[in-house]
Amino acid sequence: MLIPTVSALLTPEGYDDAEVIVKSIQNASDRGPSMLEELKELWNYRALLMSMVRRELNIRYKNSVLGFLWSFINPLVTVVVMTFVFKTIMRNDTPNFSAYVLAGYLPFTFFQMGLMDSAQSIIGALPLIRKVYFPREILPLSLVIANFVHLLLAMGMFFLYLAFIYITNPAESPFRMTAMYLPFLLILNFCLVTGFSLLISALNVFYEDVKYLVGIITYLLFFMCPVMYFSEKIYYSLGAKGYYLYFLNPVATMVNAYRKILLAPQPQITKEGFDKLGHKIPDMVQAAVPLSMREMLLTSAISLFILWYGYRVFNKLKWRFVERV
Amino acid sequence: MAICGARLNEVEAPKIRITDLHKSFVLHDVHIGTLKSWLLRIGQKAKPKRQVKHVLRGISFDVKRRECVAIVGRNGAGKSTMLSIVAKVYRPTSGSVEINGRVAPLLELGSGFHPDLTGLENVYFNAMLLGLTEDQIKERLDEIVDFAEIREYIEEPIRTYSSGMIARLGFAVASHVDAEILIVDESLAVGDFQFVQKCYAHIRRFQMRGGTILFVSHSSSSIKDIATRCLWVEQGVVKMDGNPDEVIKEYQSNAPSPESAAN
Repeated sequence: MLIPTVSALLTPEGYDDAEVIVKSIQNASDRGPSMLEELKELWNYRALLMSMVRRELNIRYKNSVLGFLWSFINPLVTVVVMTFVFKTIMRNDTPNFSAYVLAGYLPFTFFQMGLMDSAQSIIGALPLIRKVYFPREILPLSLVIANFVHLLLAMGMFFLYLAFIYITNPAESPFRMTAMYLPFLLILNFCLVTGFSLLISALNVFYEDVKYLVGIITYLLFFMCPVMYFSEKIYYSLGAKGYYLYFLNPVATMVNAYRKILLAPQPQITKEGFDKLGHKIPDMVQAAVPLSMREMLLTSAISLFILWYGYRVFNKLKWRFVERV
Repeated sequence: MAICGARLNEVEAPKIRITDLHKSFVLHDVHIGTLKSWLLRIGQKAKPKRQVKHVLRGISFDVKRRECVAIVGRNGAGKSTMLSIVAKVYRPTSGSVEINGRVAPLLELGSGFHPDLTGLENVYFNAMLLGLTEDQIKERLDEIVDFAEIREYIEEPIRTYSSGMIARLGFAVASHVDAEILIVDESLAVGDFQFVQKCYAHIRRFQMRGGTILFVSHSSSSIKDIATRCLWVEQGVVKMDGNPDEVIKEYQSNAPSPESAAN
């Protein structure tokens, strides 16, 4: 193809091969495009979405010396602190406890950061969306994808960490065959976060309380997910019914699922000690509770529903973003 | 054959067809009241009414290929709202807008730029925002950078740019996306004299090549310079439509505030 000159750039005729007649009709009387049409439009703008993701990844650590390393330093510090607290203060003797913390903390951080970031995505871009059209869902989506990229990188680091554990203790391999379910879990997790993110970013335009609520809820969720403890604790202290209720929370199920497929099941050992009356109690072993298929199916259904519902609400509200005074 | 082609052009579908366009905005949405305002209202029986502002009240016109339409009117007459509907930013309340071709709105100073990214990164981002693919941008990157006259600063972050440089870059990007319809909303006022002249020359060339331009301006000289047609919008309706010289003459004799005050 010939290199176009300035004048040719300006002409629609200058690009016979690239000529696309873009025809669009806006009509107030129709009920708006269907979800399938919205998705098609989003697909047309995939280049913009990818460039936004790249921009997001570039900006985050633009003016820092360590750059991308910060993505790993944060969870690393958390894991070191948590491991220290649990090993030395709470006397939990689970082998490779840090790996269990990491396996739960990484997906949780994805959930938390994805939602916190996207809550402000539309409001922050109001000057831009007042000027130019593009599918608005690109704004929260790009942030979710950027955070997802961080999760993937962190997962890579996680496997490096497992390899490190293996090298220091070659007698027992920490790698599990069930790790092959990881892609499936990642996709499901992505759907859940995307659904919530669409919902939150759209609602936050009209009610800015949403972002504060998200802050509080994700903070509470941290304790309602098996990150700092094992889900077995819930099973043995709340019973089967409580355990079932506990896992109605899709985030808890997902965090738990990461752990179960990535790492060996861990029977819980309560160390020998003394009860209130001063009697000595021996070691107590609580068998590991396997991941149940029913939980996973329920969580998958909830995640997909939230994705569908979030997108629906977003599409209903998106034309009103610019009209918000 | 050539004559045939020309005739076909004459009868081809208009680039923009606006039919009975209405747009109204809800001013104070009572549904999004704060807790405080809700508590204050408890004693009162009457619910506050939704205040609705009708900005456009039935606008209809067609714009053909090669036309350069200037829109004049006082502040708040609905000019920008109309352009925003054409740019698909707003949805019409009723009526329809039919557009045949790619629309490129000229982004206002910095609205699509991120201060921490370099000029180059921002060019890519903005051009993609206007619908170009990465390959298309690579092809015309040199043209854009040369047109904006900022080659030596292109690797610097945008926050180090002057407002004139940002405006030049913005125009350079928007005018190189080979759109068929260019929308300009009063943003040509920035930039020095030479650059404004360059933009006008560019717009004229764009028009000669078959492009369509819709622009809002308060400067009668620039309207007379480049417009082939002028719309006078007043209180949400088209008050006058025709030759730029006549419309401006009529507009200026009618408007109580001189155009210099508005700009």
